[in-house]
Parts: sequence; C-alpha cells; structure tokens
Amino acid sequence: MSRLSFEAGSSVAYHTGDWRILRPVYKDKWPPCSQTCPASEDIQAWLALASDDQWQAAWRKLTERNPFPAVMGRICYHPCELSCNRKHLDSAVNIHGVERYLGDLALEQGWRHQPLNKKQQTQQVAVVGAGPAGLSCAFQLVRRGYPVTVFDARSAAGGTLHSGIPAYRLPKNILRREIDAILALGIQLHLDTRIGEQRSAQSLQEEFAAIFLAIGEQQPRIYTGNDQSGHSIMSGVDFLRRINQGEPVKMPRHVAVIGGGNTAIDAARCARRLGAEVTVVCPQDPHGTQHGHPGAEMPASFEEVIQAEAEGVRLSYRLGVSRLVRSGEHLSGLQVARVDQLHDRHGQFAPKLFEGTEEFLSAGLAIFAIGQEVDWHGLERLRDSEDSNILIGGDAAGKPRFAATAVGSGYQAAMSIIACLTGIPPVYEQHEKAEVSINDLNLSYYPQSVRQEGGVVADRLHDFDEVITGLDKTAVTHEAGRCLSCGVCFQCDNCWHFCPDAAVIKQDAGYEVDNDYCKGCGICAQECPCGHIDMVT
Amino acid sequence: MDVRDTYRHNVLTSGHRACSGCGEAMAARMVTDIIGPDAVYINATGCLQVFTTHNQQSAWQAPWIHSVFANAAAVASGVEAAMRANGKDTPVVVQAGDGGTFDIGLQCLSGMIERGHDVLFVCYDNEAYMNTGVQRSSSTPHAVRTTTSPPGRLSEGKHHLKKDVISIIAAHQMPYAATATVAYFPDLKAKVEKAMSLKGPRFLQVLSPCPLGWNHDAAQTIQVSRLAVETGLFPLVELEHGAVTGVMRLARQRPVEDYIKLQGRFKHLFGSKGGAVEIRHLQALADARIRRYGLLEADTEWTTDTANQVQRRGRGGYARVSKGESQ
Ligand SMILES: Cc1cc2nc3c(=O)[nH]c(=O)nc-3n(C[C@H](O)[C@H](O)[C@H](O)COP(=O)(O)OP(=O)(O)OC[C@H]3O[C@@H](n4cnc5c(N)ncnc54)[C@H](O)[C@@H]3O)c2cc1C
Ligand SMILES: Cc1ncc(C[n+]2csc(CCOP(=O)(O)OP(=O)(O)O)c2C)c(N)n1
Ligand code: SF4
Ligand code: SF4
Ligand code: SF4
Ligand code: SF4
Repeated sequence: MSRLSFEAGSSVAYHTGDWRILRPVYKDKWPPCSQTCPASEDIQAWLALASDDQWQAAWRKLTERNPFPAVMGRICYHPCELSCNRKHLDSAVNIHGVERYLGDLALEQGWRHQPLNKKQQTQQVAVVGAGPAGLSCAFQLVRRGYPVTVFDARSAAGGTLHSGIPAYRLPKNILRREIDAILALGIQLHLDTRIGEQRSAQSLQEEFAAIFLAIGEQQPRIYTGNDQSGHSIMSGVDFLRRINQGEPVKMPRHVAVIGGGNTAIDAARCARRLGAEVTVVCPQDPHGTQHGHPGAEMPASFEEVIQAEAEGVRLSYRLGVSRLVRSGEHLSGLQVARVDQLHDRHGQFAPKLFEGTEEFLSAGLAIFAIGQEVDWHGLERLRDSEDSNILIGGDAAGKPRFAATAVGSGYQAAMSIIACLTGIPPVYEQHEKAEVSINDLNLSYYPQSVRQEGGVVADRLHDFDEVITGLDKTAVTHEAGRCLSCGVCFQCDNCWHFCPDAAVIKQDAGYEVDNDYCKGCGICAQECPCGHIDMVT
Repeated sequence: MDVRDTYRHNVLTSGHRACSGCGEAMAARMVTDIIGPDAVYINATGCLQVFTTHNQQSAWQAPWIHSVFANAAAVASGVEAAMRANGKDTPVVVQAGDGGTFDIGLQCLSGMIERGHDVLFVCYDNEAYMNTGVQRSSSTPHAVRTTTSPPGRLSEGKHHLKKDVISIIAAHQMPYAATATVAYFPDLKAKVEKAMSLKGPRFLQVLSPCPLGWNHDAAQTIQVSRLAVETGLFPLVELEHGAVTGVMRLARQRPVEDYIKLQGRFKHLFGSKGGAVEIRHLQALADARIRRYGLLEADTEWTTDTANQVQRRGRGGYARVSKGESQ
C-alpha cells in the first residue's frame, strides 16, 4: 500500500511497521539465581508454579534437576539467594524455604517420580557411592531408561548427607524418605560393598558399559604435630559418623575442636549437645573484625557459626595448635598460639604461629576437623583410566564441597554417560538463554515486601531434634510470589496495554508482536517489569 | 473489521499515523476499548483526529464523527438529544486535545455540562497544540519551551501557569470529573467504568505524554506519565458534584527534577540561575498541589504503589471479542 493511497477503508491497510528502526523480541532469560544454583535448578519456573498453587507441578519442575528438595531446602547454603535480584529491591526471595516446603509436601503426599520415557535401554551403568552425586546421576539415568546399579561401602545410603550432617540440621527420616523415592524408580542398590575390596574395580569394568565414581572425600586429613597416637584424639568426620550411626560417644567436660570449616562447626554443636563445654580453635575470624566482611575469611557457613555461638560454643579465632599436652595416656589440653597470616606466598593455606603467644587450653578430647581426602584405595585403575565411559564427580572430583554441587555434577555425569553410550553429544550446557541483571528490570512494578524466615527452636541443647522450622503454606505462597520472574514473562499484560499501536497481540498463551504495525517505540521493552523483551535491529 | 486480537475490540486499531510512542494514541486506545464499540465518538480537531483518519483511512472500529476544533461538545449535545428523541441510550463520548478543551472548546463544553447532557467528555491532555507543531496552550505548564514560548534572554519558557481545568469543570456541580494518566491503567480503567456507570455530563482529563512536543525518548512515555503523578505535578483525583471524593495517595514523593530532566521541553532550565529559580517554582507548585489534595496523607489504600503492582496473568483488561464477530 502506497503512502499516498486515497482508497477509503481501514487504516490497517497501511503498514506503519516500515517506520521502525528497532523491533521488540520476546525472549526467556536465565536468572541469576539459576546461574548460581550449583544444581542449575530452574528456580524461577518452580517458584512461579508454587505461587500459582500448582504444588505438584512445582515439585516436578524442581526435581528435574534436583531430586533432593527436602534435603537441600535444609542444608544447602543457598548461593542462589546471594545473587537473587530481589535483594536490590528489599531482600532476596527465601528460595530454600520454598524448596524445603515442596520437598516435605512431596514426602507427605507420597508423590512419585516418573520416568521420562517408556523406552528401556540395555546398557548397564554402575555408580560407585550413594551420596548426592551418585544418587543424582542414577536418578537421571534411570528416568531415561538406563538400568543402574549403585554400590556403597556403608550400610546406609546418603553418603556424607547421612554420615556427616547431624540430625538437628537434617533429620534422618527426611533423608531416608527422599532417597527411597529415588530408588523407587528401579535403581539397584548394593550396600556394604566397597569397590576395591568386596568387589574389584576390574569386575565392574567387565560388567558395566559405564562407571560413575562418586566416592566423596571420606578420608580425614590427620594432624601431623606431636604425639598424635594415643587416646582422646579423633577426626571430625569419624566423630560425626559415630554420632550419626547412633553409637554412644562419651564426652569429657572440655572438648576442643580444631578447624574452621563446616565439619568443625557440626562437630562442635554435636559435642555441645552431648553436654561438653566446647571451644573451636580456628585460624580464621568469621566475624571479620580484622579483615573483610563477616563470614568472608572462614570456610564455614556464617549462618552456622551464628547458630553455634547461640548454642554456647566458644569460638577462639586466629588461633592454631602448637602441640598436644598429655598427662600420661590422657590428654589434658592443647597448647595454642596466635596465628599470623593464613596463607603462604603461593596462596596455600598454611597458618603461621607467633612465637611467645602460647596459651593452654584445657581439653579431654581434641577433634581435628582439618579436611578430608579422597580414598582411592583399590580404585586406582579406574581413576587413572583414559576411557570416556569412566567418570568422576561430586566431592571426589575436587569440586567445591557442597551437596548441591554434587547433585549438579551427578546430572552432568549422567548426560555425559548417555552421550558416550549413544554417541550423541550431551545437551546439558546448551541453553542459550541470555543473563538478566537488575538493570534489565523495571522495579516500579514491584512494591516492597518483607521476607519470611523459618523459625529457630530456642531450647535445643538436650537433643538432636531439628533446629530450624520450615515456612508454613501462607509464608511459602508469599515468598514464591515475591519472585520477580527475572527474564521470564508472567503475562502481566503491560506490553499489551501500553503499545500505542495495538501491535502487541494477546493470545491464549503469551503475546505476539505484529511487525506490520510496530513502530519500534520501545515502550513495551521499557515497561516489561521482568526484562523479557529486547529491542533488536 | 480487524480482529487480530480476540482479547479486546481495538476500537482504535493499528495503522494510525501517530508518532512512535504517542501517549495520546495509547490513552485513546485504552479509553475507547474500555467503553467498547457500541458508542458514538465525537472527535474535536487535533492530533487524535488527524492521525486516526489519514488519507480516507480510518483507524476507528466504532461510529466516529469529526466535529470542528471548537464545537465537539455542542455536536455531542446534538447527537445525545437525537438519541434521546429516538428512544436510544447509546453512549456518547467526546474526545479532544487540551487545546480543544481548555481553550477553544471550553465554552461549548461548559454549555454542554450546564444543560446536563448525558455525555462523557475525555480530554487527552498533552499540554500544547501538538498537531500544528507544539504551540503553547493554557494547559502548557509553567516554564515549558514551546514554539510560541521559546526560552531566551527575556524568558524561561512559558510565563503563565497551567490552567486548573478540572476545578473549573467540577465547579459546574456535575456528577463526575476525574484526572487519570496512561501509566496507571487500573486507575484509568476504574475511572472510565465509573464514568460510564453514571448519567449526565461527565469529564475525564487524561494526561498523555507527547514524545515529539515534550521532547522525550519515545520509550519513556510511561515513565514520564508515572513521574508526573509521583512528583505531585499531576494529582490523580475524582470530584463528584464539585467535591473531592477520591485521590490516589503518593506512596512516596519524587522531586520534580526526576520528571523534568527526562524532557527536552524543560532542558533550558538546567545550568542557569534563572532556570534554577524556575525549577524551585515548579517544585513549589507540586508541593502546593500535594498539600491541596492531601496526596501524602490521604486515608486510602489506593496508592501509586498498589496502582502500579503487576500480577501474574494481568489485572483484567477489556471485554473479549468472540471470533464469530469477524466480518
Ligand atoms: C560434616 C559435614 C557437613 C556438611 N554440611 C554440608 C551442608 O550443610 N551443606 C552442603 O551443601 N554440604 C555440606 N557438606 C558437604 C557435602 O556433604 C558434600 O559435598 C556431599 O555430600 C558430596 O557428595 P558426594 O556424593 O560427592 O560424596 P559423599 O556424600 O561423600 O558420598 C560418597 C559415598 O561414596 C561411598 N564410597 C566411598 N568409597 C567407596 C568405595 N570404594 N566403594 C563403594 N562406596 C564408596 C561412601 O561410603 C559414601 O557413601 C558437609 C560435609 C561434611 C563432611
Ligand atoms: C478554528 C481552528 N483553529 C485552528 C485550527 C488548527 N488546528 C488544528 S489541530 C490544532 C491543535 C490541536 O491542539 P489540541 O487540541 O491540544 O490537540 P493535540 O493536537 O495536541 O492533540 C490546531 C490549532 C483549526 N483546525 N481550527
Ligand atoms: S527474583 Fe526470582 S527469578 Fe529473580 S533472581 Fe530472585 S528467585 Fe531468581
Ligand atoms: S510498544 Fe508497540 S510499537 Fe512500541 S515497540 Fe512495542 S510493539 Fe512496537
Ligand atoms: S510486559 Fe508483562 S506480559 Fe509483556 S512480556 Fe513482560 S512480563 Fe510478559
Ligand atoms: S505530536 Fe504528540 S500527540 Fe501528536 S501524534 Fe505525535 S506524539 Fe502523539
């Protein structure tokens, strides 16, 4: 139609679209919460479903990437919340609170995981280690039709989630029921089977088409100072394992825990529950009185440190052990000294003690929580193999030691195994969604709202009952509704209402720009609350 | 009939020749879709009339009459009387710019109200004579640059103040007069629906930013509209029979600089002593309006925050069009 038409009729015959320089495009983005979630959960998507009362759909969306919501909602350090865009407006969405609620609801309602396809594959896969990495991998494979056998040296599944994390943070029945739901998909589990001992690595290689090694870091690093033999010395992981297995452990009056990580804090809080006076000797300073912001120096989660202090655990910062002090067989205490710098010239952790600053710390038991190592005993041939059908993941791969990282690593391993078995390249890293930052959002559409927190049980030192209570349904709906839906359209109608040219067409699911009429003003992109619309040439 | 969109009628449809980002086109699209196609629309001369009926092509999908510049309210009075004589109650709606309302159309409008005609008069207030190239009107705010109020050695833009037309109209003791703007769609919608539910003369003044005349980025139309309200320069109020019956409370007051710095029509005020005085003057005018209507302390849940809040799957729109209606 020419610009100078004189034919009477409707203006739709005239295409104003050719005035345009830029054109709007609707595009889903990948929000920062998901970018930082080590399990790459589509957090925005399941929060949206939860806020919409679609609880089961929300749980299914979440468990696509993480079959442990009830566990992770309790013990994950939730880095997603550190990056949540909402913190620029008021405070981050309580993502882990909603996650926990969904996990608990699924257990309560008995929701079952579904296979993704009916087709049964024939190639068998072995998973060594029934921790979060191994079970996550097995879950992804079995849902895609692969027969999976999981081996674990211990007599209970769960890996460090079971043997390391105390019940007051993660009740055993929650862990067990979430694992049962995974196993119910048809995973073979062989407990009390240490590969390299009860079964050889070679037999595995002969029997299975692919092997995933998710053996964690189970071997405690040992104190190399004086006189480490003898009584009254224990490693943090051994101490926690005994408690987690329900073995009675006798406590002296004073216990010293050495270390600045989560194992140290967990060991200290357990010893406290068993009635001891506990001092944590840690080289770092969690409160950052000398350096940086609180929590920056110390590897332990700052929230856990606060909890421990509230329970009466004494934390002695910037101290190191110079020697053990014994009277006869028995430990009478530690000689500790002030720590100078924490790291050597190469950035390695190597605290240096100041001579002349020694003091005595009375202790009848010293728990060393100074790190763990991978126990490769009997698995060397698998570790050193160059075959692409043998993979290592979770803590054993030297990843940052978080449960969610192990879950994410299990997912990636499953995808790599399928790629290796089928010869089709893996698809997992290929979402080409762009990032969406706070600058892409229009905050005028989101009023301030207060974040809801779970409660803390005050009287908690006489048992191992759970300390943090979950959010109730109202609070969960509130929190899910606080999500800004970064980068993902939530059908607010803004673009449709505001287009001066009626060029945004509303459809039953979503919107479409009619390029015949869009003049490219950019109002829709500017007024999209969540940054879903890009202006492109 | 254009039925590309089944979620609204598109009384004012695509292909019109308004500038990119036009607030008046946006406002008219919203208002007429809320009222719907079963009404008679009378349009005074001005941008809306020109850009919707170019070269014999009409963007209107409802009965629509172009009056002349001054007499839209008089034409509407006649249409309404004729309807009544024929026993029909088809709604009659006038649309006009601020020139066609505050200035040349004011006496016809006053007469229409005084005679009690059952007509809704909607003024799309873009604060100048835009269609003829941005001449000042009595709606143009103080200190604004237009082609007929150029700033220079002797002036800082328009000397006079913006006419308080809503008070003039409300003083007719008529059923309903209200102000609205495009940024707050739910508010605009509620006011149009309220106006349509009443009988007798009713009046809406809809602030409609004009990217060309206000010299702002086309993408900023809504932001400019929102800031006009949040600064207090354009209070959103409702008056019934002369008395204020509703205001939109400001969740927070923003300084007028936030508003004026987005617009080239105020650019001359920055960086000069005289300009600084005028900015303070504009701030004082905003403060006075806030005090007059009690915009910061009004006892109402309806605030600039609640009116802005978005919801999953929208906050309601217009009557749906069934596919069967297409021709
Ligand atoms: C005390 C403590 C507290 C922690 N708290 C948290 C927390 O609050 N939040 C968090 O995110 N992370 C926490 N972590 C870290 C987290 O538990 C680990 O990152 C995670 O469990 C690693 O998972 P994985 O599957 O790689 O290994 P693991 O969970 O360690 O599981 C490895 C499994 O492999 C089995 N295995 C080992 N060798 C063999 C073999 N040869 N044959 C058969 N089986 C074998 C082991 O028995 C074990 O069951 C904590 C760790 C510790 C030690
Ligand atoms: C009696 C008369 N005088 C002047 C004009 C020229 N004219 C046409 S549109 C217009 C300006 C309209 O301004 P306004 O009513 O504010 O509407 P806008 O274009 O800004 O929407 C003028 C002066 C005319 N059409 N009739
Ligand atoms: S607001 Fe929602 S989508 Fe955005 S970062 Fe936070 S949780 Fe993720
Ligand atoms: S608001 Fe309408 S005209 Fe403007 S860019 Fe978006 S679709 Fe195009
Ligand atoms: S403005 Fe609203 S409806 Fe439009 S794309 Fe953005 S979120 Fe979706
Ligand atoms: S001059 Fe202003 S009112 Fe007229 S069409 Fe352009 S933007 Fe709209």
